Amino acid sequence: MTFEDTDFRQETLDLENPFDVKLVKDFLGGLGFEFDPAEVECTMIVYNLKGDLVGTGSHQGRILKYFVVDPKFRDTTAFALIVTYMTEKLLKIYKHTFVFTRPENAIRFTGLGFTQIASAEPLYTLLEFGFESIYTYQDYLKTLIVPVTGETVAAIVVNCNPFTNGHKFLIEKAAVENEIVYLFVVEEDQSAFPFSVRWDLIRKGITHLKNVKMVRGGMYVVSGSIFPAYFLKNETVDDVMQKQAELDVRIFANYIVPVLGIKRRYVGTELYCKTTESYNHAMKTILPLSGVEVIEVTRKAIGLGSDNLPDYISASKVREAIKKDKLSEVIDFLPDSTRDYLFSDESLPIRQKIKDGKGRH
Amino acid sequence: MKPKIAAQSGTFESSDVIFLIEPLPDNSGRKLDISSTVMQQYGSSFNRIVTEMLDEYQMTDIHLIAKDKGALEPTIKARLETAINRSMERQEGTL
Repeated sequence: MTFEDTDFRQETLDLENPFDVKLVKDFLGGLGFEFDPAEVECTMIVYNLKGDLVGTGSHQGRILKYFVVDPKFRDTTAFALIVTYMTEKLLKIYKHTFVFTRPENAIRFTGLGFTQIASAEPLYTLLEFGFESIYTYQDYLKTLIVPVTGETVAAIVVNCNPFTNGHKFLIEKAAVENEIVYLFVVEEDQSAFPFSVRWDLIRKGITHLKNVKMVRGGMYVVSGSIFPAYFLKNETVDDVMQKQAELDVRIFANYIVPVLGIKRRYVGTELYCKTTESYNHAMKTILPLSGVEVIEVTRKAIGLGSDNLPDYISASKVREAIKKDKLSEVIDFLPDSTRDYLFSDESLPIRQKIKDGKGRH
Repeated sequence: MKPKIAAQSGTFESSDVIFLIEPLPDNSGRKLDISSTVMQQYGSSFNRIVTEMLDEYQMTDIHLIAKDKGALEPTIKARLETAINRSMERQEGTL
């Protein structure tokens, strides 16, 4: 391996090797970062010719992480060297790369040619670099624009993991109340049901609604789970979640709303999931400033649950039922498309995965 | 000619100019995204150099991204030539 800067020596680490992991861990630990090898795919490290550790950088998928240079070497080109190395590697695989960093450090990346997308002060700034950018996504949105005569343009963002009657109810309500509804489906494949399946079940479930336009969420609509929380040791989980949601909503308000002329955003009331709750809170604070009305729709319930409270439809209850093999208990929650799918053999691997799996999704 | 693969030339640390090239679908022409810290003063000459160079190599169906930090003309030409050659798989990158 050759490189252009002869002051430094660079190496890719073997993350399976405990000595290599310890090396990065100690280096980052000394500078106040907690290194978690499970959070990265590949780590590189830079020495100078005397053998001093100068800096390190990692990535997970298309996200750059743990880019740290020892303060003694911050006046050298080490930082740029690490960034060059990683972006060059990633751009061979992906169309673009992302960085989350503290707002005060954003300038170090913009100085190298990264573009700032959005900022949630005082914790995060999101930047990107590569062949594609958020403008490429905007071009995609422009191809979907449906001309309207009035002002009633609505948007809904759904994950639909899986698609339930609750989602269907929300979409139908928005379709009745608006001229056009843009339905964003979260594309990030971090959910139990993969994107292609979720997209298909929704598409089959809403064929009767002619004024609903389905939109791929791309890299920019709720990319929540990619979010690194490692440099936020002093913040509570709630703060991190809140800021993450704020970042997402700001991107929606600044880049998506103006392109499609969205005036309303429909959300279901949230009772079960804390992440979604902080997301709804962020929407109510930020979206009205961009002229978007947030309409919170009370969840659809079917009868009373065992605790004598209304039995609200929720995708997490469906996943819970799959896990316990009691799918028949939630049958009323499921629209035809999802029911047929869940009772078919096609969904067997996914059901098995949910049974084996842990965690929120 | 059309680029065969996506390619990059230039580095962040040298602070002159970075070029990224990727192939586009057939008959889509050229798409140039040029950003420069000296756009105001040297933007037109930068554009001219890039266009001339692409003409010289008869490049079409190409998406070119340039992040310029005020590189001099010979540097711009050298970087771009390298990027073109890499994208045509006539030359390999340093990594």
